Amino acid sequence: MSSLMKFIGVDKIQKAIQIFQENGGLKASLIKMLRNDELKSGTLVGVDKYGNRYYENNAYFVGRNRWIEYADHYWLDYNASQIPAEWYGWMHYKTDLIPTKDPNRPHHRWMLDHTENMTGTSGQYTPYSTNRPKIEAWIPPKK
Amino acid sequence: MAATVKIFNIVKSNMSPNKLTYGLLAPMQVRSKYYCISEPDPSMKFKDMSERAVHIMFWTELFRGLGITLANLFKEPATINYPFEKGPLSPRFRGEHALRRYPSGEERCIACKLCEAICPAQAITIEAEEREDGSRRTTRYDIDMTKCIYCGFCQEACPVDAIVEGPNFEFSTESREELLYNKEKLLNNGDKWESEIASNIYADHLYR
Repeated sequence: MSSLMKFIGVDKIQKAIQIFQENGGLKASLIKMLRNDELKSGTLVGVDKYGNRYYENNAYFVGRNRWIEYADHYWLDYNASQIPAEWYGWMHYKTDLIPTKDPNRPHHRWMLDHTENMTGTSGQYTPYSTNRPKIEAWIPPKK
Repeated sequence: MAATVKIFNIVKSNMSPNKLTYGLLAPMQVRSKYYCISEPDPSMKFKDMSERAVHIMFWTELFRGLGITLANLFKEPATINYPFEKGPLSPRFRGEHALRRYPSGEERCIACKLCEAICPAQAITIEAEEREDGSRRTTRYDIDMTKCIYCGFCQEACPVDAIVEGPNFEFSTESREELLYNKEKLLNNGDKWESEIASNIYADHLYR
Protein backbone atom coordinates (compact mmCIF):
# COMPACT_ATOMS: atom_id res chain seq x y z
CA MET A 1 0.00 0.00 0.00
CA SER A 2 2.73 2.43 0.97
CA SER A 3 4.64 1.67 -2.23
CA LEU A 4 1.50 2.40 -4.22
CA MET A 5 1.10 5.71 -2.36
CA LYS A 6 4.71 6.49 -3.18
CA PHE A 7 4.16 5.62 -6.84
CA ILE A 8 1.22 7.99 -7.10
CA GLY A 9 3.13 10.70 -5.22
CA VAL A 10 0.96 10.95 -2.11
CA ASP A 11 4.05 10.93 0.11
CA LYS A 12 5.13 14.23 -1.48
CA ILE A 13 1.85 15.83 -0.49
CA GLN A 14 2.20 14.42 3.02
CA LYS A 15 5.71 15.85 3.20
CA ALA A 16 4.47 19.27 2.07
CA ILE A 17 1.76 19.23 4.74
CA GLN A 18 4.36 18.27 7.34
CA ILE A 19 6.61 21.17 6.31
CA PHE A 20 3.67 23.57 6.58
CA GLN A 21 2.89 22.24 10.07
CA GLU A 22 6.50 22.50 11.22
CA ASN A 23 6.62 26.13 10.15
CA GLY A 24 3.63 27.01 12.30
CA GLY A 25 0.53 26.67 10.20
CA LEU A 26 -0.66 28.11 6.91
CA LYS A 27 -0.39 31.83 7.72
CA ALA A 28 3.06 31.65 9.29
CA SER A 29 4.24 29.49 6.41
CA LEU A 30 3.02 31.97 3.81
CA ILE A 31 4.80 34.82 5.62
CA LYS A 32 7.99 32.73 5.68
CA MET A 33 7.64 32.00 1.98
CA LEU A 34 7.35 35.73 1.34
CA ARG A 35 10.47 36.53 3.38
CA ASN A 36 12.66 33.55 2.62
CA ASP A 37 11.48 32.78 -0.93
CA GLU A 38 10.99 29.15 0.05
CA LEU A 39 9.78 26.91 2.82
CA LYS A 40 12.04 24.31 4.38
CA SER A 41 11.96 22.13 7.42
CA GLY A 42 15.00 21.74 9.63
CA THR A 43 16.29 21.79 13.15
CA LEU A 44 17.11 25.09 14.84
CA VAL A 45 20.87 24.91 15.48
CA GLY A 46 21.32 28.22 17.20
CA VAL A 47 20.39 31.86 17.54
CA ASP A 48 23.01 34.60 17.49
CA LYS A 49 22.88 37.70 19.64
CA TYR A 50 21.36 39.77 16.84
CA GLY A 51 18.34 37.44 16.66
CA ASN A 52 19.21 35.58 13.45
CA ARG A 53 18.18 31.93 13.53
CA TYR A 54 20.30 29.18 11.99
CA TYR A 55 18.81 25.93 10.70
CA GLU A 56 20.21 22.69 9.43
CA ASN A 57 18.71 19.70 7.65
CA ASN A 58 21.13 17.30 6.03
CA ALA A 59 18.42 15.77 3.85
CA TYR A 60 19.16 18.66 1.47
CA PHE A 61 22.41 18.64 -0.47
CA VAL A 62 25.49 20.57 0.64
CA GLY A 63 24.99 24.24 -0.09
CA ARG A 64 21.32 24.03 0.81
CA ASN A 65 21.48 22.08 4.06
CA ARG A 66 22.32 25.07 6.27
CA TRP A 67 20.37 28.26 6.16
CA ILE A 68 19.63 31.39 8.09
CA GLU A 69 16.41 33.15 8.89
CA TYR A 70 17.24 36.78 9.47
CA ALA A 71 15.93 38.39 12.63
CA ASP A 72 12.28 39.45 12.41
CA HIS A 73 12.98 43.15 12.81
CA TYR A 74 14.86 43.24 9.51
CA TRP A 75 11.63 42.17 7.76
CA LEU A 76 12.55 42.46 4.05
CA ASP A 77 15.73 44.49 4.58
CA TYR A 78 17.85 41.40 5.10
CA ASN A 79 21.21 41.00 3.45
CA ALA A 80 24.07 38.57 3.70
CA SER A 81 26.39 40.98 5.51
CA GLN A 82 24.12 40.71 8.56
CA ILE A 83 25.61 37.29 9.32
CA PRO A 84 28.11 37.91 12.16
CA ALA A 85 31.72 36.72 11.98
CA GLU A 86 31.13 33.99 14.60
CA TRP A 87 28.57 32.21 12.42
CA TYR A 88 30.25 32.99 9.12
CA GLY A 89 32.41 29.85 9.13
CA TRP A 90 29.47 27.60 9.93
CA MET A 91 27.32 29.18 7.22
CA HIS A 92 30.10 28.67 4.68
CA TYR A 93 30.75 25.02 5.61
CA LYS A 94 34.25 25.75 6.93
CA THR A 95 33.41 24.12 10.24
CA ASP A 96 30.71 21.87 11.64
CA LEU A 97 31.06 23.44 15.07
CA ILE A 98 28.64 26.18 15.98
CA PRO A 99 30.44 29.11 17.67
CA THR A 100 29.31 28.23 21.19
CA LYS A 101 30.86 24.76 20.84
CA ASP A 102 34.08 25.83 19.11
CA PRO A 103 36.91 26.05 21.69
CA ASN A 104 39.35 27.71 19.27
CA ARG A 105 37.38 30.90 18.74
CA PRO A 106 39.00 33.85 20.51
CA HIS A 107 37.05 36.10 22.83
CA HIS A 108 39.09 39.23 23.40
CA ARG A 109 37.65 42.19 25.14
CA TRP A 110 38.69 44.51 22.31
CA MET A 111 36.64 42.62 19.72
CA LEU A 112 33.81 44.67 18.26
CA ASP A 113 30.19 43.86 17.57
CA HIS A 114 29.30 42.95 14.04
CA THR A 115 27.84 45.60 11.76
CA GLU A 116 26.24 45.06 8.44
CA ASN A 117 27.47 46.70 5.27
CA MET A 118 26.57 50.33 5.93
CA THR A 119 27.03 51.65 2.40
CA GLY A 120 24.41 54.08 1.27
CA THR A 121 23.35 54.97 4.81
CA SER A 122 24.43 57.77 7.13
CA GLY A 123 26.69 55.30 8.93
CA GLN A 124 28.81 54.60 5.88
CA TYR A 125 32.60 54.82 5.97
CA THR A 126 34.14 57.85 4.37
CA PRO A 127 37.90 57.95 3.96
CA TYR A 128 40.02 60.54 5.72
CA SER A 129 43.70 61.02 6.36
CA THR A 130 44.99 59.46 9.55
CA ASN A 131 48.09 61.66 9.92
CA ARG A 132 48.89 65.33 10.28
CA PRO A 133 49.07 67.44 7.11
CA LYS A 134 52.68 67.81 6.02
CA ILE A 135 52.26 71.35 4.78
CA GLU A 136 50.54 73.86 6.97
CA ALA A 137 49.25 77.15 5.74
CA TRP A 138 51.21 80.20 6.75
CA ILE A 139 49.21 82.44 8.94
CA PRO A 140 50.57 85.96 8.46
CA PRO A 141 51.51 87.77 11.67
CA LYS A 142 49.16 90.53 12.64
CA LYS A 143 50.46 94.08 12.49
CA MET B 1 68.17 -9.18 -39.48
CA ALA B 2 65.85 -10.47 -36.80
CA ALA B 3 62.95 -8.71 -38.52
CA THR B 4 63.73 -10.33 -41.86
CA VAL B 5 63.74 -13.71 -40.25
CA LYS B 6 60.42 -12.93 -38.65
CA ILE B 7 58.80 -11.98 -41.97
CA PHE B 8 60.19 -15.08 -43.58
CA ASN B 9 58.76 -17.21 -40.80
CA ILE B 10 55.35 -15.59 -41.12
CA VAL B 11 55.24 -16.08 -44.85
CA LYS B 12 56.33 -19.64 -44.41
CA SER B 13 53.53 -20.31 -41.95
CA ASN B 14 50.95 -18.97 -44.48
CA MET B 15 49.76 -16.10 -42.35
CA SER B 16 47.93 -13.35 -44.18
CA PRO B 17 50.00 -10.15 -44.29
CA ASN B 18 47.26 -7.93 -42.81
CA LYS B 19 47.72 -9.70 -39.48
CA LEU B 20 51.24 -8.30 -39.24
CA THR B 21 51.92 -5.66 -36.69
CA TYR B 22 51.83 -2.03 -37.69
CA GLY B 23 55.43 -1.30 -36.87
CA LEU B 24 56.80 -4.15 -38.86
CA LEU B 25 55.19 -3.72 -42.22
CA ALA B 26 53.19 -0.52 -42.14
CA PRO B 27 53.17 0.17 -45.93
CA MET B 28 52.04 -3.35 -46.67
CA GLN B 29 48.97 -3.45 -44.46
CA VAL B 30 45.64 -4.09 -46.07
CA ARG B 31 42.45 -2.93 -44.40
CA SER B 32 39.60 -5.29 -44.84
CA LYS B 33 37.15 -4.27 -42.12
CA TYR B 34 35.22 -1.00 -41.90
CA TYR B 35 32.74 0.37 -39.39
CA CYS B 36 30.02 2.89 -40.18
CA ILE B 37 30.01 5.38 -37.30
CA SER B 38 27.39 7.74 -38.71
CA GLU B 39 23.74 7.27 -37.90
CA PRO B 40 22.24 4.43 -39.95
CA ASP B 41 19.78 5.40 -42.64
CA PRO B 42 16.16 5.29 -41.51
CA SER B 43 14.22 2.23 -42.38
CA MET B 44 12.25 2.62 -45.58
CA LYS B 45 9.59 0.05 -44.80
CA PHE B 46 6.10 1.46 -45.28
CA LYS B 47 5.12 0.82 -41.62
CA ASP B 48 8.17 2.68 -40.26
CA MET B 49 7.76 5.54 -42.72
CA SER B 50 4.13 6.09 -41.79
CA GLU B 51 5.02 5.96 -38.09
CA ARG B 52 7.62 8.68 -38.58
CA ALA B 53 5.12 10.79 -40.48
CA VAL B 54 2.61 10.46 -37.62
CA HIS B 55 5.25 11.53 -35.07
CA ILE B 56 6.00 14.61 -37.11
CA MET B 57 2.36 15.49 -37.74
CA PHE B 58 1.29 15.21 -34.10
CA TRP B 59 4.39 17.04 -32.67
CA THR B 60 5.14 14.25 -30.23
CA GLU B 61 8.66 15.62 -29.73
CA LEU B 62 7.24 18.89 -28.45
CA PHE B 63 5.00 17.16 -25.95
CA ARG B 64 7.80 14.92 -24.73
CA GLY B 65 9.94 18.02 -24.22
CA LEU B 66 7.16 19.72 -22.30
CA GLY B 67 6.87 16.61 -20.17
CA ILE B 68 10.54 16.93 -19.21
CA THR B 69 9.99 20.60 -18.35
CA LEU B 70 7.03 19.69 -16.15
CA ALA B 71 9.00 16.95 -14.42
CA ASN B 72 11.80 19.39 -13.61
CA LEU B 73 9.31 21.76 -11.97
CA PHE B 74 8.82 19.19 -9.22
CA LYS B 75 12.50 18.37 -8.79
CA GLU B 76 14.59 19.73 -5.94
CA PRO B 77 16.17 22.94 -7.24
CA ALA B 78 19.94 22.89 -7.61
CA THR B 79 20.21 26.64 -6.96
CA ILE B 80 21.46 27.98 -3.64
CA ASN B 81 18.98 30.42 -2.16
CA TYR B 82 21.39 33.28 -1.40
CA PRO B 83 21.43 35.14 1.04
CA PHE B 84 19.68 32.51 3.15
CA GLU B 85 21.97 29.73 2.05
CA LYS B 86 25.61 30.21 1.19
CA GLY B 87 28.15 28.19 -0.70
CA PRO B 88 31.20 26.45 0.72
CA LEU B 89 34.25 28.67 1.25
CA SER B 90 37.90 27.84 1.92
CA PRO B 91 39.70 29.03 5.08
CA ARG B 92 42.28 30.41 2.63
CA PHE B 93 39.72 32.61 0.89
CA ARG B 94 41.15 36.07 0.23
CA GLY B 95 38.51 38.70 0.80
CA GLU B 96 38.36 42.07 2.50
CA HIS B 97 41.55 43.19 4.23
CA ALA B 98 41.92 43.60 7.96
CA LEU B 99 44.64 44.70 10.37
CA ARG B 100 44.90 42.40 13.36
CA ARG B 101 45.82 42.97 16.98
CA TYR B 102 47.70 40.95 19.56
CA PRO B 103 45.51 39.37 22.27
CA SER B 104 46.52 42.25 24.53
CA GLY B 105 44.85 44.68 22.12
CA GLU B 106 48.12 46.12 20.79
CA GLU B 107 48.12 46.51 17.04
CA ARG B 108 50.44 44.11 15.26
CA CYS B 109 51.65 46.25 12.38
CA ILE B 110 55.22 47.49 12.88
CA ALA B 111 55.38 49.50 9.64
CA CYS B 112 58.07 47.32 8.01
CA LYS B 113 56.45 48.17 4.65
CA LEU B 114 57.04 44.70 3.19
CA CYS B 115 53.40 44.56 2.06
CA GLU B 116 53.76 47.94 0.41
CA ALA B 117 56.88 46.73 -1.38
CA ILE B 118 55.44 43.45 -2.60
CA CYS B 119 52.01 44.74 -3.64
CA PRO B 120 51.91 44.23 -7.44
CA ALA B 121 49.08 46.73 -7.82
CA GLN B 122 50.76 49.28 -5.54
CA ALA B 123 47.52 49.62 -3.64
CA ILE B 124 49.09 50.05 -0.18
CA THR B 125 50.46 53.31 1.18
CA ILE B 126 52.24 53.37 4.54
CA GLU B 127 53.73 56.20 6.54
CA ALA B 128 55.37 55.54 9.88
CA GLU B 129 56.41 57.52 12.91
CA GLU B 130 57.77 56.80 16.33
CA ARG B 131 55.04 56.55 18.90
CA GLU B 132 55.24 58.23 22.30
CA ASP B 133 56.40 55.01 23.96
CA GLY B 134 59.21 54.68 21.42
CA SER B 135 57.70 51.86 19.32
CA ARG B 136 57.51 52.11 15.56
CA ARG B 137 53.95 52.23 14.27
CA THR B 138 52.13 53.39 11.19
CA THR B 139 50.41 56.72 11.09
CA ARG B 140 48.98 56.00 7.69
CA TYR B 141 47.98 52.60 6.39
CA ASP B 142 45.82 53.06 3.32
CA ILE B 143 44.68 50.37 0.93
CA ASP B 144 42.99 51.35 -2.28
CA MET B 145 40.56 48.47 -2.60
CA THR B 146 39.78 49.50 -6.18
CA LYS B 147 43.42 48.86 -7.11
CA CYS B 148 43.78 45.70 -5.07
CA ILE B 149 43.83 42.47 -7.07
CA TYR B 150 43.36 40.21 -4.01
CA CYS B 151 46.52 38.23 -4.73
CA GLY B 152 47.28 37.73 -1.04
CA PHE B 153 50.95 38.72 -1.33
CA CYS B 154 50.56 41.27 1.49
CA GLN B 155 49.52 38.64 4.00
CA GLU B 156 52.28 36.33 2.79
CA ALA B 157 54.84 39.09 3.19
CA CYS B 158 53.73 40.22 6.63
CA PRO B 159 56.17 39.01 9.32
CA VAL B 160 53.75 39.59 12.21
CA ASP B 161 50.45 38.42 10.63
CA ALA B 162 49.15 41.98 10.88
CA ILE B 163 47.59 42.49 7.45
CA VAL B 164 45.37 39.60 6.46
CA GLU B 165 42.77 39.10 3.81
CA GLY B 166 39.72 38.17 5.80
CA PRO B 167 36.85 35.92 4.77
CA ASN B 168 34.41 38.73 4.03
CA PHE B 169 33.42 39.35 0.43
CA GLU B 170 30.21 41.26 1.09
CA PHE B 171 31.73 44.73 1.29
CA SER B 172 30.45 46.19 -1.96
CA THR B 173 29.78 49.90 -1.82
CA GLU B 174 27.64 52.43 -3.59
CA SER B 175 30.42 54.95 -4.08
CA ARG B 176 34.05 54.61 -5.05
CA GLU B 177 35.48 56.61 -2.18
CA GLU B 178 34.18 54.11 0.37
CA LEU B 179 36.67 51.62 -1.02
CA LEU B 180 39.69 53.79 -0.15
CA TYR B 181 40.34 52.16 3.22
CA ASN B 182 42.41 53.90 5.86
CA LYS B 183 44.09 52.49 8.93
CA GLU B 184 41.12 52.90 11.24
CA LYS B 185 38.76 51.11 8.86
CA LEU B 186 41.23 48.24 8.53
CA LEU B 187 41.70 47.94 12.29
CA ASN B 188 37.92 48.04 12.72
CA ASN B 189 37.60 45.20 10.22
CA GLY B 190 40.16 43.24 12.20
CA ASP B 191 38.29 43.79 15.48
CA LYS B 192 35.00 42.78 13.88
CA TRP B 193 36.26 39.71 12.06
CA GLU B 194 38.92 38.47 14.50
CA SER B 195 36.80 35.46 15.48
CA GLU B 196 36.70 34.19 11.91
CA ILE B 197 40.22 35.30 10.94
CA ALA B 198 41.75 33.46 13.91
CA SER B 199 39.68 30.35 13.10
CA ASN B 200 40.86 30.44 9.50
CA ILE B 201 44.50 30.74 10.53
CA TYR B 202 44.01 27.88 12.99
CA ALA B 203 42.36 25.72 10.30
CA ASP B 204 45.33 26.30 7.99
CA HIS B 205 48.18 26.15 10.54
CA LEU B 206 49.23 22.59 9.65
CA TYR B 207 49.90 23.55 6.04
CA ARG B 208 52.10 26.57 6.65
